[in-house]
Amino acid sequence: MTEQQNLMELGEAALARVAQARSTAELDALETEYLGRKGELTFQLRKIGSLPPEQRKDFGQAVNDLKAKLSAAIDERRRALAQAEIDAKLVGEALDVTLPGRFYRIGRAHVLVETLEKVKDIFIRLGYEITENPEMESYHYNFEALNYPVDHPAIDEQMSFYIDDDRLLRTHTTAYQHRQMEKRKPPIKVCTLGKCYRVDAVDATHGHTFHQVDCFCVDRGISMADLKGTLHEFAVEMFGPGTNVRFRPDFFPFVEPGAEVAVTCTICSGTGCNVCKGTGWLELAGAGMIHPNVLEGAGIDSEQYTGFAFGFGIERMPMLQHGIDDLRLFMENDLRFLRQL
Amino acid sequence: MKVPIEWLREYLDFTCPLDELAEKLTMAGLEVEEITEAEGEPVFDVKVTPNRGDWLSMIGVAREAAPLVGNKLKMPESDLKATGPDVGSFISIEILDPDLCGRYVGVVVRGVKVGPSPDWMCKRLAAAGMRPINNVVDVTNYVMLELGQPLHAFDLSLLHGSRIIVRRARAGERIVSIDNTQRILEPDMLVIADSDRPVAIAGVMGGADSEINDQTQDILIESANFASTSIRRTSKRLGMVTESSYRFERGVDPSVTAVAACRAAELIRKLGGGEVARGIVDVRPRPVEPWIVRARPERVNAVLGTDLDARTMAAYLNGLDIETSIADGALISKVPTFRQDITREIDLVEEVGRAYGYHNLPMTLPEATQQGKDSPEGLFGNRLRRILISCGAQEVLTHSMVDSKLAELAGRSEQVVRLRNPLSEDLDSMRVTLIPNLLGVIERNQSYGTTDVNVFEIGKVYHRTNGELSEPLRVAGAMSGSMWRSAWCLPKEALSTDFYLCKGLVESVLDALGIEDVNYAEVNDPLLHPTRGAKVMVGSKQIGILGEAAPNVRESMDIRQRPCVYELDFAALMELAPRVLRYRHLPRYPALHRHLAIVVSEKTKYAEILSVIEESGRPVVEDISLLDVYTGEQIGKGLVSRTVSLVFRSAERTLTDEEVNVVLDKVQSALKRQLGASFR
Repeated sequence: MTEQQNLMELGEAALARVAQARSTAELDALETEYLGRKGELTFQLRKIGSLPPEQRKDFGQAVNDLKAKLSAAIDERRRALAQAEIDAKLVGEALDVTLPGRFYRIGRAHVLVETLEKVKDIFIRLGYEITENPEMESYHYNFEALNYPVDHPAIDEQMSFYIDDDRLLRTHTTAYQHRQMEKRKPPIKVCTLGKCYRVDAVDATHGHTFHQVDCFCVDRGISMADLKGTLHEFAVEMFGPGTNVRFRPDFFPFVEPGAEVAVTCTICSGTGCNVCKGTGWLELAGAGMIHPNVLEGAGIDSEQYTGFAFGFGIERMPMLQHGIDDLRLFMENDLRFLRQL
Repeated sequence: MKVPIEWLREYLDFTCPLDELAEKLTMAGLEVEEITEAEGEPVFDVKVTPNRGDWLSMIGVAREAAPLVGNKLKMPESDLKATGPDVGSFISIEILDPDLCGRYVGVVVRGVKVGPSPDWMCKRLAAAGMRPINNVVDVTNYVMLELGQPLHAFDLSLLHGSRIIVRRARAGERIVSIDNTQRILEPDMLVIADSDRPVAIAGVMGGADSEINDQTQDILIESANFASTSIRRTSKRLGMVTESSYRFERGVDPSVTAVAACRAAELIRKLGGGEVARGIVDVRPRPVEPWIVRARPERVNAVLGTDLDARTMAAYLNGLDIETSIADGALISKVPTFRQDITREIDLVEEVGRAYGYHNLPMTLPEATQQGKDSPEGLFGNRLRRILISCGAQEVLTHSMVDSKLAELAGRSEQVVRLRNPLSEDLDSMRVTLIPNLLGVIERNQSYGTTDVNVFEIGKVYHRTNGELSEPLRVAGAMSGSMWRSAWCLPKEALSTDFYLCKGLVESVLDALGIEDVNYAEVNDPLLHPTRGAKVMVGSKQIGILGEAAPNVRESMDIRQRPCVYELDFAALMELAPRVLRYRHLPRYPALHRHLAIVVSEKTKYAEILSVIEESGRPVVEDISLLDVYTGEQIGKGLVSRTVSLVFRSAERTLTDEEVNVVLDKVQSALKRQLGASFR
């Protein structure tokens, strides 16, 4: 057998061993065995001197070819083995992806506060300035300044919680009206929102505490048509396009003419249902032109200036929107309720 | 008020369907709340606004409906047959307090047989919601419902001295009213008296001593006009609201006094026989005549936003029985006495508007005069809400009216604002702090089986300080249980609320607001655990508290877990939080990191370690964070190891290891010197 044949056999055997290597460690050993400084192929190369001169070149070439081939095979095998090892490791990391995640409870806004914010935003867009006003109010601002005659039955309609002879919990946000008129000059466009209190038995539709919004506008040439237009604008923004408003006469001491305002029933769109008792309308607000007595009481010339005012409760809107049938849910704070909305 | 339609038709002819009439009345301001049935006939249930006492009668409703159905009102015919001797020989009437009684009319019917009323009258009364009693009392009620004038019938023979004296009660005077209740009168209450004693509480209820009984034969019918404020006060003080007081409070037409008396006398004669004495006693110290109110048509249009001409306006007013003419372009209205609500121009504006129909008014928008804007509190409140919600907290809204025991629990009874007329004992005051309310939310949810709670509220608290009331805003929260809904793979300590979770939330909020120089120190607060509570300070100013709820508070509310709470002063946060957060340059040079395991006495506060490191490591110690806390045998009794991670960085250049080691040596020796620290 020639040295060449010998080399070929050696090469084949080495390649076969590389192909069969089971680990990178085994490959490392093979690499040393064949390609290392004292390795087999280095040994083969040293033989060159003992060969006839005419064979030396070819043999040298063959050894170098084999070296390169073997080296490439080892590298390739090593990559394959590394990949297999990674694959095996990843398989070992397998998860049950159907197990639940670490479900973080997100925070939510309270549905009634969200409604207040929505209402507030609409009035801000309509040019109103939001003001903060006391809930512990004087009898004067809550009633007298609003043209409630002394000992008039109109006061019965809003039985008040008294703190002492002069102070009570405001029965309506309208109590802010004179406060704001006194510190401003027309044109005035202001709004306030917040808690109000009335002596009332608590049930699904009544409470001793409720939330209201109140707006008023005083300027030259303000008319009842402006009031209607403003509330129509609000209704469309709040309840959607196509919502109409209906005005009919009502009485509140601080406005004249006074009106009760209804909007197209949001449930049946005005065709009549059990929520609107078949009328197609839902009562929304009390409104009217600010009574000259109220303006004059605040030092505003009622000949030069006129104004309108309106106010309404907040609770009803999310009740209708979300189908909530019990007012008490809002302030009971049952998380099973709050986490739904 | 109930309006039987069959009765209404006596005064007004109409052919339109009932629901159409109801709709028209409602749109005119006399709201028909419901159409019901009584005695087999339809009945309107109308809601009369407090300014329209004149609507509290069949005539009043018919008068309002007349222009709506295009027909004329038919007043009941007066055909009084007075044949007896002059009324003056039976009774004399005197008004001592004309400020409270403007008119008093007396009519006498003698020889009446008291008995049941005829069917038709019983039916009408029943349909209107009144119980028939006997023909005399029924007639007084019938005429009241018909004309709106409350009447009272006395048994004439039971009046001492044949006298009626209208006067204020004397101190200590008593009367047994016809509901057989002894009433103690006060000197500003108006009474009807005979020569010896009060026989009726004017305008509210008659006395039992002089009431109509089965033996009654001779009757005095009282028809009077009492001052509404006086009646209201008396009725409130005595806690008696009657059909009569209800009407007087809202104002009764002073022109109908005599008409009603005669109408009643005639009806009694017809139903009970007897003879009507000739004439009436009409004492009228304050006669009321129709008055003139003027209105400028251009003003009417300006207020309503309409373009009506004066003639149209006048026609509307005339249709409402307000006699109106036009002179010099102005509307001159002669206001009938039943419309006491009309005294000035604006009242006529409303009448024109009502008649024109509010639904016909145009819609415009006022001129834009300013940018709308939120209040500073509203703006900041929203910023705060967003941060808290992003921290995973659920917003809640709790009641401001609470049990004053909660203020006691908070040790702040002296601050509490109490209500004089609470709805119940457990709602007798205003909250002084939000914390008990939020613990209440935890308690309530616990009872519903929800134990994982993280809630917050931004709301007012209510304080009384030296008699002054204030209602500052607070932001507060309460947490219990786990913040995770599914947590099968989390370590145990990550699952349940503790002091540090709660503190972390407060720290996150303050950090997000950009508030700096925050520090915490022990605090004694009745709401907090005595050794697990902290005050939240910014610089040297306290802005709130946080910590584990006090065990006794928790137990008194039946809370099984150990919730944590916080409450911060909204105004202080608003003042401290920069409105705009400023950008700081990102670091230009790399940082170096070192860990230091510091062993100190367990009495040494972490804050002390921090301040020594900050002081001694200046200016290159950029950040200090706590990695681990260890106590155990390895380090010795009474000692604790705190491992901190330090970040070193210079703003001017890249630090070398040697430079950092020099600083670290300085830090260590400062810790050793000042806190007796050793290092592991």
